[in-house]
Amino acid sequence: MAIGERTSSLIRTSLVRRCMVGAAVVALTTATGCGGGGGGGGKDGGADGSSCKPSSGKVTLQYWSWVPGMQKAVDLWNSGHPDVQVELKTTPAGNAGTYQNMSNALKAGNAPDLGQVEYDSLASFRLKDGLRDIAKCPGVDAAQRKFVDWTWSQVGFGADGRDGIWAVPQDTGPMALFYRKDVFDKLGLKAPTTWDEYAADAVRLKKAGKYITHFSQTDPNWFTGLLWQRKATMFQRDGDSWKVTVDRPESRQVADYWQKLIDRKLVATDLQGFSPALYKSWNDGEVVTWISAAWGYSTIRDNAKSTAGKWAVAPMPQWHPGDQQAGNWGGSTTAVLSGSKHPAEAARFALWLDTDPKALEILNREGGLYPAAKAGLDLPALKQPVDFYGKQRIFDVFAKASADVDNGFTWGPTMTDTYRFISDGTAGAVGGKGTLADVLKQTQSQSVDSLRKQSLDVTG
Amino acid sequence: MTTTTAPPRARRRPARQALAPYAFLLPFLVPFVLFTLVPVGYAFWQSLHKTERTGGTFGHTHSVFAGFEQYADVVHEPFFGDSVVRVGVFALVQIPVMLLLALVLALLLDSTVARLKRFFRLVYFVPYGIPGVVAAVMWAFLYDPRLSPIVDLLKSAGTQVDLLGSHLILFSIGNVVTWTYTGYNMLILYSALQALPADIGEAARVDGAGGWTTATRIKIPLIRPALVLTGVFSLIGTFQLFTEPQVFRTISTSVTSTYTPNLAAYSLASGDNYSEAAALSVLLAAVTFLLSFAFLRLTSRRQG
Repeated sequence: MAIGERTSSLIRTSLVRRCMVGAAVVALTTATGCGGGGGGGGKDGGADGSSCKPSSGKVTLQYWSWVPGMQKAVDLWNSGHPDVQVELKTTPAGNAGTYQNMSNALKAGNAPDLGQVEYDSLASFRLKDGLRDIAKCPGVDAAQRKFVDWTWSQVGFGADGRDGIWAVPQDTGPMALFYRKDVFDKLGLKAPTTWDEYAADAVRLKKAGKYITHFSQTDPNWFTGLLWQRKATMFQRDGDSWKVTVDRPESRQVADYWQKLIDRKLVATDLQGFSPALYKSWNDGEVVTWISAAWGYSTIRDNAKSTAGKWAVAPMPQWHPGDQQAGNWGGSTTAVLSGSKHPAEAARFALWLDTDPKALEILNREGGLYPAAKAGLDLPALKQPVDFYGKQRIFDVFAKASADVDNGFTWGPTMTDTYRFISDGTAGAVGGKGTLADVLKQTQSQSVDSLRKQSLDVTG
Repeated sequence: MTTTTAPPRARRRPARQALAPYAFLLPFLVPFVLFTLVPVGYAFWQSLHKTERTGGTFGHTHSVFAGFEQYADVVHEPFFGDSVVRVGVFALVQIPVMLLLALVLALLLDSTVARLKRFFRLVYFVPYGIPGVVAAVMWAFLYDPRLSPIVDLLKSAGTQVDLLGSHLILFSIGNVVTWTYTGYNMLILYSALQALPADIGEAARVDGAGGWTTATRIKIPLIRPALVLTGVFSLIGTFQLFTEPQVFRTISTSVTSTYTPNLAAYSLASGDNYSEAAALSVLLAAVTFLLSFAFLRLTSRRQG
C-alpha cells in the first residue's frame, strides 16, 4: 500500500499543522484547570483586606507590565530599596494576551504580586477574585488627594474607599481633538467647539475631498470614551445587582450623531484604528482629525511624520455650547493581585511608581504615559511646547481635559464581551446592516446575557 | 490450519517481553495523554459545568454541574448558525477550487513532458512553508484599498473593488487559504501519482491513450483515495478556520469576533466564559471526529 502509507504520513503532519491553531484555542479554554475548577471561593482578597501588615526581612515582588521603559523606573526603585526588590516581566498589552495569562496564573496560584491593569478591566479582575483590597495598606488612604479625582473613583469603584481600594491609578487618557490646523486654516475653518460645528466642518472637508475622521470598528473603547463625555454610563451597581445602561437616551444621542456622519459618508468607515492604511491617509491628508487621548500625540507624531508641524490640539467638541466635558480613552493602574504575600510592600511600590516625580518622568518620557497623579501634570516635559504640533503647549489642553472627565463612569465586569458586542455590531453598521442605535440595543441585551452567564444578578 | 494446542512459548511470554512494545510506545503515549487526552477530557468536563455566584455584585464563584446546559446555550447563540453556515459555504466553494487546482498541478508535474519538475514542485509548495499569520498579514496588505498595488491596478483599469468589504471578504479569505494549501495538497496527489506502477502508464500508451485520456481515465481513478483524503482534511481545516479571519479583523471592518466557530470559541474564552467556550470547542471536535470517521469508512471500503 505505497499510496496509503505515503499519504497517511503526510496527512499526519498536515493534521498537526492545521489543528495547531484549534489546539491553541482548546488549550486556552482548558489551561485554567490547574487551580482546581474555580476554587469555590477559598481565597478572599476582600476579607483579608482588613489587615495589611508589612512583611519582615527582604521581599521580592513580581510585576507584570507592558509599559515601554518600565524597567528603568523599576531599576530606580530597586537601587533605593534593597529590602524590597521588584522583578519586572515585560508582557504584551493586556488584551493582547496578558489578561488571559494573569487570569490563568491567578487560578494556578502563581500570579505576580503586581500587574498592569487598565481601568476598564478592574471590575472583571475583581469579579474573579483577582485583586487585593489595599485600602488598609500603609499610605494608601492618604494617597487619595494625590490623584485626579475620577481616577480614585475608578479604583474605589465609585464608593470613596468604603468599598475598598483595588489598585493605584497610573496613567489616564483624557480626550481632545487632534486636527490638521493647516487644512482647517486653508478652508477658513476654526477648531469646532461643538459637535454640530464638527458635523458642519465634516461637510466642508468632504467637499474638499477629505474625511474629517475615521470611524473604526476595532476601537470600541474609543466609542465608550465618546459615551463617557456625554455622561452616558454603561453600567451601574445597584445594591447587590448590576444594571446595564448601555442603551439610554444619552448614548443614543451619541450613536445617532455618528450614524448620520456615516450615512452621509462624511467619515471613513473602511479604516481600522492604528492600521497602516490609517497612517497612510493621515500622511496623505485624506483624514484630518482624530478625537483621541493624551497618549495619542505620539501615535500621530510617529506615524504621520510627513505632516510634522501641521497638527494642533483643541478641546473635545461639546454637546451644548459652553459645556466643558471630556471623555477618557484608556489609562491603567498598578494593581496588587490577590495571591500576593506582601501586599503592603506591593502597595508601597505602586504608590511610589505612580506618584514619585522621578518615576512619573521616566514613564512619561519612555512610555508616553500621561500621569494620573496631580503632581505628574506639572512635569517639565508636559509644560513644553511640542514641535510636531506647531510648538503648541498641547498638554495644557489635556490637563484641562483631565479635570473635565466625569467621575461617575462605571465599567462593567464583562467589558471584554461588551466591547466585542459593540465592535461586532459596528461591523454591521458601517457595512450598511443596521445602525449604531441598533448596536446599542443589541449590546444592551447581549451584555445582560453575558452578566447572567457569569451568574451575576442583573437588571436590564 | 489446525486447532491443536499452541506452543507454550507463545502463550506464556516473559513479562518483560510483553511490556516491551508498551515501553516503545511511551514516547508517543505520554505526550499524547498529557497534551491531547487530558486537555480534551478537561474541556469536556468543563463544558458540563457552569459558574454560580454568591454574595453581591462581586460575589464568589462555584463551579456546579449543569449537564448539557452550555451546549444548549451554544446552539441557541445567534452566531452559532451563522458561523457554521459561513464555513459551510466556504467549504463548498473553496475546497473544490483548491483541489481542482492541486490536481491539475500534480498531473502537470507528473506528465512526461514536464520540465524543471523539482523546481516547480518546490515553488508550489513554498506558500505552505510560510506561517499562517505571516501569510495573512501579507495578503492583508495586498487587499487593503489604500495600500494595495492590485487594487490600484484595478482602479486604473476602471474597476473599483473593496476586497475587504462585507461582500468579498469571504472570497478574499478563501483566496489566502487556497494560496497556502494548494501546493500542499498538490504534493499529496503528486506522491500518489508517483506511486502508481510505471507499467500502467506504458500499457496505456501502447494502447494508444493520449495524455488527457491517461489522466482522466487512468490516473485520476487510481489516486481517488488520495483525493478523498485531501478533501476530507480540507473540510476539517475549513471548520477550524481561525488565523486568517483573526488577522483580517485588524484591517477589515467586515469580520466579527464570531465569524467562524473557532473564532467564536476564542472570543468566548477571552470573555471568561470558559464553560461555553469549552462546549463550543467540544462540539467542533465532535464534528471533526465525525468527518474523520466518515473519511476512514470511505477509504477502507474502497481499499477493501
